[in-house]
Amino acid sequence: MRRPVTTLLLAACAALSVVPAARADSLLFDYVGFDYESPNPNPATFGEPGSGYVGLGTVPFLFAPLVSNTTLNEYTMVIQCQTPSVIPVGGLEIVNYATGSVTIYEDSKALGTTADYAPNPPNSTVPATFSDGTAILVGTLTNFQLIVDTSNGVGSFEAVLNVTGGTQLGNFPADQRTGWTFSGTTGEALNIPAGYAHQIDGQSFLNGPTAARRISWGRLKAGYR
Amino acid sequence: MAMRTNPFAAETTMKRWRYTLCAVLALAAMPRPARAAAPVIDWDPAYFWMPGATFDNMPAGGIMQAVGTISLFGPPLDFLNVTMPATEYTFYMNNLSSQGTTALGPPGTTIYQTAFTGGTIDVYADPTPDAVFAPNPPNPQVPGTFTDVGPPILSGVFTSLLVTTNNFTAFKTGNIEGDIQWTGGTLIDYFKPNGGAACPGLFTGGATWNTAPGVGIPGYLFRHDGKIDLQCPVPTQKSSWGRVKQLYR
Repeated sequence: MRRPVTTLLLAACAALSVVPAARADSLLFDYVGFDYESPNPNPATFGEPGSGYVGLGTVPFLFAPLVSNTTLNEYTMVIQCQTPSVIPVGGLEIVNYATGSVTIYEDSKALGTTADYAPNPPNSTVPATFSDGTAILVGTLTNFQLIVDTSNGVGSFEAVLNVTGGTQLGNFPADQRTGWTFSGTTGEALNIPAGYAHQIDGQSFLNGPTAARRISWGRLKAGYR
Repeated sequence: MAMRTNPFAAETTMKRWRYTLCAVLALAAMPRPARAAAPVIDWDPAYFWMPGATFDNMPAGGIMQAVGTISLFGPPLDFLNVTMPATEYTFYMNNLSSQGTTALGPPGTTIYQTAFTGGTIDVYADPTPDAVFAPNPPNPQVPGTFTDVGPPILSGVFTSLLVTTNNFTAFKTGNIEGDIQWTGGTLIDYFKPNGGAACPGLFTGGATWNTAPGVGIPGYLFRHDGKIDLQCPVPTQKSSWGRVKQLYR
């Protein structure tokens, strides 16, 4: 009796067995804007102890599973990170932040407030005009790492993205809520408003779901022979 | 009681007027508050290739090229609409000559920098949309489908370009930035705000050598998400003495 039961269980396992297959990352959203520090205990340096990173900007392109209407709405994003630690490398710095978050807001163009990079943030306009409206995506950023040339602000950052909230959280399948973001930074652009450190231009990807592939019992066994 | 005339009073008043006049002149020449301008050209994505190169070694003398599809135009080219399916906007960069890669830092956190000299960029408006990032360029589609309808709407030369990479970022990310001197193209006059020389361009953005499906494409070295800003001198605003005084009332 045991043998048939064991065989049945193995067969059931085999039928349900899955083999991971590589799936493509997909572009989730693209953003462009500026960053600054708040709090900023030492304006002469970036990433000093006690400082916080704030990146904000517009999000002109959003992709599935996010649903957007860029004709009717303005989309903005705010990145906030805390607790930096700096590793100097030549004339560059590697700044690692302990915690962070990103939020994308949807704001009606007709009824909302247009995002405005008012000088010397934070102030009554910044980040308020970027964080008004509906938070459609809320995520955590971990391993946020900025590499920057201290002489001209040229560099890049990246982080792990985990989608944790927002009105469109339900659009994300439970097995597809992680991804990553990266951006270039520069201090060379002449259009950087007073009080901002860098221009940023980046994008975020969503990792493909861990895929399952149907396989026969025979093939599975063959894999272990 | 009559005020006693101070012999220095007239001189003091005169000095005050001089200082005020200087302040007025300085204010008149002061740049206007700059509000953030949108990039003139934004793309997503662009892909770079360079035969024989890796992210941490771009041998001296090697030639780097790139193609990209433009996703957004800002002022003064904001009349160009990239969402019109009848026209695609693309660019092609060529003849960027590597000066060799320099490594900075210890083995665990090494940053690589590669400067390039020379190089051109041409921007196209193609009424036969067909651009495709076919793997392993050059090939019949790359750069061909990015350059197939001339003349370019913009042409320029790079006066500098720097690629910064590293061996420690989890997602293999860095930066590519350069300066462009615009030299021609059917729309170059839009880059001449006062009819003189064209404003330079700042080519900037993040780069990744991540080869994950959906991010990298076989045969390309970098995916680049970036833009070009026009680096026009900040304008000044003429002002009258009365207007300046109004500011302080």
